[in-house]
Amino acid sequence: MASIETEVLVIGGGSTGAGVVRDAAMRGLETVLVERKDLADGTTGRFHGLLHSGGRYAVKDPEAARECILENLILRRTASDCIEDTGGLFVCTPWDDPAFGDEFVEGCRATGVPVEEIPVAEARRREPRLNPEISRAFTVPDASLDPWKLVWGCARSAQEHGAQILLYHRVLGLEREGGKVTGALVRNELTGEELRIHADVVINAAGAWAGQIAGLAGCRVEVLPGKGIMIAMNHRLVNTVVNRCKLPADGDILVPIRTVCVIGTTDTRVADPDELEVTQAEIGEMLDEGEKLVPGFREARALRVWAGARPLFSPEEVADTREVTRSHALLDHRERDGIDGFVTITGGKATTFRLMAEAAVDAACAQLGVDRPSRTAEESLPGSDEGQFYVLGARLGAREPVPQPDEIICECELITRERLEEAMRRRGTANLDDIRRTLRLGMGPCQGGFCTYRATGILHAVERLDHRAANGSLLAFLQERWKGVHPILYGDQVRQARLDDWIFQGLLGVQHLPT
Amino acid sequence: MTYDTIVIGAGLAGLTAALRLADGGARVLVVAEGVGSLHLAPATIDVLGFDQGPVESPAQALPAFTAANPSHPYARVSPGLIAASLDWLTARLPALGYRGSLDDNLLLPTAVGAAKPSALVPETMAAGDLRAGGRFVFVGLGLKDFYPGYLADNLAEARLDGQAVCARALEASPPVAGEADRTSAGFARLFEQPAFRDALVRELAGKLEREERVGFPAVLGLAQAGEVWRELEARLERTVFEVATLPPSLSGMRLYEAMTAALREAGGRVHVGERVVGVETAGGQIEAVITQPAGRATSHRARSFVLATGGFASGGLEVDSHGKVSERVFDLPVAAAPAPDAARFLPGYFDEHPLNRAGIAVDDRLRPLDDDGRLVYENLHASGATLAGALPWREGSGNGLSLATGYAAAAAILERAL
Repeated sequence: MASIETEVLVIGGGSTGAGVVRDAAMRGLETVLVERKDLADGTTGRFHGLLHSGGRYAVKDPEAARECILENLILRRTASDCIEDTGGLFVCTPWDDPAFGDEFVEGCRATGVPVEEIPVAEARRREPRLNPEISRAFTVPDASLDPWKLVWGCARSAQEHGAQILLYHRVLGLEREGGKVTGALVRNELTGEELRIHADVVINAAGAWAGQIAGLAGCRVEVLPGKGIMIAMNHRLVNTVVNRCKLPADGDILVPIRTVCVIGTTDTRVADPDELEVTQAEIGEMLDEGEKLVPGFREARALRVWAGARPLFSPEEVADTREVTRSHALLDHRERDGIDGFVTITGGKATTFRLMAEAAVDAACAQLGVDRPSRTAEESLPGSDEGQFYVLGARLGAREPVPQPDEIICECELITRERLEEAMRRRGTANLDDIRRTLRLGMGPCQGGFCTYRATGILHAVERLDHRAANGSLLAFLQERWKGVHPILYGDQVRQARLDDWIFQGLLGVQHLPT
Repeated sequence: MTYDTIVIGAGLAGLTAALRLADGGARVLVVAEGVGSLHLAPATIDVLGFDQGPVESPAQALPAFTAANPSHPYARVSPGLIAASLDWLTARLPALGYRGSLDDNLLLPTAVGAAKPSALVPETMAAGDLRAGGRFVFVGLGLKDFYPGYLADNLAEARLDGQAVCARALEASPPVAGEADRTSAGFARLFEQPAFRDALVRELAGKLEREERVGFPAVLGLAQAGEVWRELEARLERTVFEVATLPPSLSGMRLYEAMTAALREAGGRVHVGERVVGVETAGGQIEAVITQPAGRATSHRARSFVLATGGFASGGLEVDSHGKVSERVFDLPVAAAPAPDAARFLPGYFDEHPLNRAGIAVDDRLRPLDDDGRLVYENLHASGATLAGALPWREGSGNGLSLATGYAAAAAILERAL
């Protein structure tokens, strides 16, 4: 069996793990990251895309609010290309107590979240679709955050600093010698080959799966997966992040991100973060809550629904996962369980991923006996050096003024053939869903109706895939897209889905292809 | 004025009904919100491609199929009428040169290289028939909607009745000026330019093997497609055929152009861009439909009406966020629809989804029925994808259903007028 040695092994390729591998590599540590699937395949790729200002937690969870605003300001500097500076509004609808607004302002002031009450007329001028019956409105520096750009930016930066990223590598077991974790046994999920990784320190950044990983080292870590569902609407009903001004509850945030907007979310304790079922009752509730923020919400076109598993760390048993702090947890198992060489970082939010990574690598450095400070609060991610925020329409803006030498393969997301071929070569994957996470292929209104056949044809040519493998990629992508479409298929999206059926089953007959 | 018949919808079902009625001497108006699904799907007439397995002869398979599926629209139309509808289309639109019949399905390659059964196909596609096996070359033009290498690899594996298909791909890059991002329609315009054809023929010269049939994506022109196809056959000295690919469908557009031209010539009117916004009824009859083309509502009166607005894809049927399924124009009762709180779709993409067969139930004269089997409006007929009981893409019955039921609706109206 092959084996490799490294100073730091990071488990988990979500925002936390990607932040950790970058932070460690930037400190000059030899670092390897293993992820069982693709980067941002878990919770990170399934959140609403909100870069919190902290306003949401200002009253209920002041510590989380403080962390959020500090990190919000750091990421605006260092990850600007991943952020659209939408700004945020907190509004009191007729279902919310206007007096809570005062408590909210007080909480924001106490935690350092910049807040300003603006006239309702001004809020409605900025967001004309808002419920005309809102009674108060406050601005905060919320923004939207592209999770894939963020995670891939961290990964690329880490690679530039010498780190190794091993995707589709699942941890089968952690190796222990006496009271010390010495590495992990992993399996390449694509080839089936096993690999032994010896490491001086193992950082468990598996998020909602961190309890499972810690269990492999014989440590008990209580991570409660808190299921949250989200619905992407076909276009941006609002251009500002809109929050209900009340204690956090279900369906009270609407986030404009890229060409869509996302309403979220719920919070239900689940046993297994890999089993996240979306119920019709949850969808109905989300739509009804959307109606309160933006009247007519139910008539707007819904694209897709999905669920993510928050990693909520709770040392005690709790019934309601909303009561668990959104602040993160660093567990140094040397102090906690008497096990050397093993650190768990969990809890927290995408907004605070950098801070979590810093804390985890600090703990790892202490175990390694080195003293090197984190530089992630100062150094920008690749692509964010200029401090320019992402601007909606940038892809079109770059393309439109001059005749273009190549074709657009995914019209919804304006992905050109050149970009697609480049991504296929770089990633060397036959999985179109990996390409989706890299380029947003198939994430627009037609949900892959037009680009899936094209991308498969290109994949077959570029990667010299055999036709059965190409057929498998096509069918797997159709099933993956359908997974998020079918629970919420109504209204105009039914027309789209039926057209897609007609293309794949009527015109192409993909159901008759050999695999 | 009062029309004899108003047809709502300009897809294959609506235009078939309208043209057949106009030929029968009726004053006909077609009102449609848009150009309909002909622009999306190829002009092949698939009557029944798959039952338990692939269907070789729809004529032979239909009796057992309708017996096993008594709620299917085909069970409302006599087999003779289905055959007659195919013969009628072939004779009525000679410029499209339809080939085939209800007796035998051709097997045409799809753009991924699956074999698709069709009863009747335009002459430009007919030589793609795979049933006898043979050697095929598929020519790519750099069109983003056509991948001949992928197609050929899949097709080469197909063993059809023991006849081996030998397939390969060839990429041609004829001169294309301007934006590279060209659709099928853009290529169709190029094919109608002699200089483009010259360059393509020169490029292919010497690269084709003897006895090879040459497949192009279905973009060989719009108005002049027949001439382009014949010229390519003559100059390449090979049998040439088109392979249908992603929308827009040029072959479907040719069919639309041919049908609307024939309809106008026969005295019919076509109003596209007119959404029906209201209906006038009296005594169990439809008296008029109200459209609103540009601000002012207009009432159109007729003695009979044909609903041909299509299914969920075309917007003839709708489902709202509470799960309520409805018919858009006349708010007809929808049969075979799951209850609002029941699952409409299942988790597997290819599962048989509960909503799939929803639509309008009709009597043997294709008149809509309510849940208790009673006639809803005495002078309303329904046809095409709006009907309940079919799985068109699964059965390979899409255009066949529209043609047969559009034809049958017209027959029912004409019969009564006589």
